[in-house]
Amino acid sequence: MGFIRNIRSVFHDDWCRECKSEMEVKNKKLYALPMMVGHYVSHTDPEYYIKNVTPVNRKAEIPTGQYACGVIAYRCPECLHEAVKLSVFLPVRDVEKYEDAFLFENGEVDSLIK
Amino acid sequence: MENQKVKKINLVYLLSYIFAPIIICAICFTLSAKFFPAGNMAVILIMGPSILSFVWWVFAGNFLYKRAQKRLEKELDESGFVKNYIFYGAGWTVAVDIENGKIAMVSFWNPSVSYVLPADRITKTWVDDGKSGFGIFEGSGRVSFLFMIDDVKIRVNTFTSNTRFRMDSEYILTGISKADMMVEVLENARKKVK
Repeated sequence: MGFIRNIRSVFHDDWCRECKSEMEVKNKKLYALPMMVGHYVSHTDPEYYIKNVTPVNRKAEIPTGQYACGVIAYRCPECLHEAVKLSVFLPVRDVEKYEDAFLFENGEVDSLIK
Repeated sequence: MENQKVKKINLVYLLSYIFAPIIICAICFTLSAKFFPAGNMAVILIMGPSILSFVWWVFAGNFLYKRAQKRLEKELDESGFVKNYIFYGAGWTVAVDIENGKIAMVSFWNPSVSYVLPADRITKTWVDDGKSGFGIFEGSGRVSFLFMIDDVKIRVNTFTSNTRFRMDSEYILTGISKADMMVEVLENARKKVK
């Protein structure tokens, strides 16, 4: 059972890496990124996001052709391990075109989720 | 300049682009057949124009279009045109100055003329996602934004391919996003003039 769960957890970003349980969503935030369509550059440094994102309330507030960044904070109900998933996407009408997703487990982007 | 009528294709340029190398080749081949049937001169008269024609058809169009783009940008910089957005399409380059409500354009098939026009001459803007087929066959091979200036329809492709892609493919979505953005920008410039 544990072995199968370990394999399944590889395919789920929102499963705890410590105890392989399904984590619960603690908080969600949406930001606009200062990058336009056709000019996307991938950034792995969390500092880039902390310095450059602009908070928005709804997807509709993001100008057409501008990239967005969704930040979701997770907490494991079993071992209380916390992680933040940051996903970069381009909103196109009612679809989201995903570019990158990063999982931060050491509080690197906690300032974005407070 | 602001009342210029937009001409999508310069017919003289188009015809000379296609036929000038053919005419030059025909003249050289005739000269070779009549006066130099053999020898170095025959090789030069046959191979020279053939190679030059190939180079002309493959590279000259893009070369002249790139030069026209650079000339347009230089003209815009000198005239104080604020390039809020500039889109380099394969057939058209479109620059928009939202602050002053102006658009500037240059066409691949009319590279000798740059147009700088007030944005209120745009009568209609829309996006064509090229969607066709249904069910699992639904897809597109071209996404473009279009606008009418007076009675001239300008189509600027944001994505083209000889392969059909699903409507949710990253290529199509990127093309739609660019087209949506340009339509919004053109509308903003048009509103600024009104």
